[in-house]
Amino acid sequence: MREKATTLYLGPQHPGITGNMMIKLKVEGDTVVKAETHVGYLHRGFEKLMERRNWLQSFTIVCRICVPEPDPNELNYSRAVEEIEGRAVPERAEWIRTMMMELSRLASYLLWFGGQNGSSGLYTMPQWSVGDRDYILDLFEELTGGRVYHMYIWPGGVRRDLPDGFADKVLQTMDYLEKRLKKYDDLMFANTIFQKRAQGIGWIDPKKAVEWGVVGPPLRAAGIKSDVRIDDPYLIYDKLDFEVPTQTGSDVWSRALIRRFEFEQSISMVRQCIEKMPKGEVYNKIPNPMKWTIPAGDAYVKAESARGEFGYYVVSDGSDKPRRVHVKGPAYVHGVTLLERILVGANIADVSFIMNSLGTCPPEIER
Amino acid sequence: MTDTILDKEQKLVQLLEQTFKKLSGKVVRQRRVTVSVEKELVPSVLSYAKSQLGYIHLSHISCVDWPENNNFEIIYILWSPADKVQLFIKTLINRENPEIDNVDMIWKHANTYEREIREMYGIQFNGLVGAQEFILEDWDDMPPMRRDFDTVDYVDNNYTFRPGREDAGDVREEIIKRSGEDIPDFAKKYSRD
Repeated sequence: MREKATTLYLGPQHPGITGNMMIKLKVEGDTVVKAETHVGYLHRGFEKLMERRNWLQSFTIVCRICVPEPDPNELNYSRAVEEIEGRAVPERAEWIRTMMMELSRLASYLLWFGGQNGSSGLYTMPQWSVGDRDYILDLFEELTGGRVYHMYIWPGGVRRDLPDGFADKVLQTMDYLEKRLKKYDDLMFANTIFQKRAQGIGWIDPKKAVEWGVVGPPLRAAGIKSDVRIDDPYLIYDKLDFEVPTQTGSDVWSRALIRRFEFEQSISMVRQCIEKMPKGEVYNKIPNPMKWTIPAGDAYVKAESARGEFGYYVVSDGSDKPRRVHVKGPAYVHGVTLLERILVGANIADVSFIMNSLGTCPPEIER
Repeated sequence: MTDTILDKEQKLVQLLEQTFKKLSGKVVRQRRVTVSVEKELVPSVLSYAKSQLGYIHLSHISCVDWPENNNFEIIYILWSPADKVQLFIKTLINRENPEIDNVDMIWKHANTYEREIREMYGIQFNGLVGAQEFILEDWDDMPPMRRDFDTVDYVDNNYTFRPGREDAGDVREEIIKRSGEDIPDFAKKYSRD
């Protein structure tokens, strides 16, 4: 007998998701037959704000677009401005930026470890990983003055050089995190309950994944070796030695494994940055910010964030303010059309589990 | 930058210009190619790029308002995983009667971009099916991302300030008034006067 469909409004609060969005589910029994994403809870109008602020004032607000991972925003904005203006960046600044990006990826994955397990009821993991994330935030605080929002990577380079003894602290933190990863393996990846929950759910068709706009860890979990750091190299990633892990399962479990392997790669990349970083200037000074104009032009820059390709389309009309800054976060596709597609057939209890595995981040859908 | 480096980019421009007569393209830099087309040609160019040239990934759709030229610019940004080239397809549409064909049958996720551009710029996408509202709820004013939408004016007409906040004065002065205490020396230098 076919059961009668009921409408279930899930959200706007979700465990492990920063920000709010609502999913309108049509369920039969506890199986989802239709899903619709509704956003509109946190539109803050960043893109409009930036049209009224000069180029440097806009830089101070871009990091606030995404809470768990603000650095790709700063980097993309700065790179777009530098590309349109043709401003060179000192080499040491490029190395520091890379180190920041990888530290930010580690912090973001730690938060994700917590979120993914928080949505399945394994509450020890969030306690551990959010605690460990704080050690990275301590590094950010020492380097930039801010724990979450750094405003550190800016057009022309970075704001200041590494303080004395900072490199040692970074290395010690990396050693610590490497040790902790073994604990995470025992608690999360070797855990039969997590394996059984995660395997085989939230499947994305690997043949359609690129066409559907899937990027980042979910795409690599579908067996497609795609990473902006390799495909469209930026910063000094071509000078680092790292691997891009792939999996073939294309389910929540594969995505978890991808993030776990990338965690190791990022630790290694941070170490390489500290080891190989050249000495020199870190900032190519910009003119008086109040009179700073950028020649007319446009640029689309992208960076590999912890959730996938993070793009910025920036247009200048030759004045002292941006004509248009359009932010494209991976969740813009993952959280809307992709989620609506792959939730069909899922169990209600798995909905937030699948949302987390895609790294859904509502603040970047609405901006 | 030598010619050999930009080889595949130049070939792409040539190929597109040969296939579509009313198309002009140029190589911006390595891995970046931009072409301009008439708005009627957009669906054909997009589906040709996707099915024949391997530009299977739609990275982004953006819109820029140019009121001084009386038009909107719509930019489709595609990526080819094989060639590793980012292709920009740009088109201009008239600001008076802004409409363009919907392309969400080529990429499903174009639907989200189009819904957002529809409500933020007031551009009609012919054939677009999907909930009318995406971010803005019950909005009946001018589409807010248009350049001539005055945010300050909108706030003045629609919101009132909470009593006590009109002067936006220095909070320390209020404290002195209420408590009669003096500002300590170290805090004085931050004072507004």
